[in-house]
Amino acid sequence: MPAPRLRSRSLRRIFRKVPGNRVSLQYREKKPKPAKCGNCGAVLKGIPREMPYRMRGIAKTRKRPERPFGGVLCSRCMRQKMIDKARQ
Amino acid sequence: MIEVGRLVVKIAGRDAGKKGVIIDVLDDKYILIDGETRRRKVNILHIEPLNQKIDIKKNVSHEDVAKALDELGLKVRITKPKPKTQKPKAKRKTPEQLRVQKEEKKKLRDIFRHKKKEQKSEVKQEATLEEKAGLSEEKKEGAKAEKPVEAKPKEKKTSSKKAERSKE
Ligand SMILES: [Zn+2]
Repeated sequence: MPAPRLRSRSLRRIFRKVPGNRVSLQYREKKPKPAKCGNCGAVLKGIPREMPYRMRGIAKTRKRPERPFGGVLCSRCMRQKMIDKARQ
Repeated sequence: MIEVGRLVVKIAGRDAGKKGVIIDVLDDKYILIDGETRRRKVNILHIEPLNQKIDIKKNVSHEDVAKALDELGLKVRITKPKPKTQKPKAKRKTPEQLRVQKEEKKKLRDIFRHKKKEQKSEVKQEATLEEKAGLSEEKKEGAKAEKPVEAKPKEKKTSSKKAERSKE
């Protein structure tokens, strides 16, 4: 029986092969899904995949790219948007 | 489309969405722009040319660009040059100053060394004197006296134990 604090599902479980050719159950912190582009759904780069309480401790400039729509749209979609705007 | 005086919008990077004018065409890949962005070399793929065109010469100054764009209602990015601050230079000591410094250090070192030596020697001498005076004899006597005291109870204990065993 695991320790009481490990019986909740607030930690994710992984199976790791450990020395001695043994498979043991280990517990890891959960992580949220990676950030996605609001237009095409591609995974955004340059955005750390951390829990909100950890995100609070990170500087703003380290949490998204430093450009218009950074952290919302991928660079490809942003460029297309800018071109559309210019051609109106 | 790509020519000096053409208005462009930057579509990539931190300046995306900002307007500017082409000042110079460097080659078939790169141009020089100025305006809402700082004056910079830009890849043609990173800009979108607009329909407007203004009359400016090649490689005009930033002020002229600002005037031309002001009529169109565009605000030019003005970067203030940072005030130059002079760092205090690390002063090198002249050889004479270094010599003086060394001498002072030596003096201090010598003072402490002498003191330590004197203290040690004094202590040693005193100790030896005391021993000579008769402490050594006392110590020997004390040691002699102590040893039998320690030894006697052991004998007693052992003897008592033996006695107990014999009794049992
Ligand atoms: Zn996208």
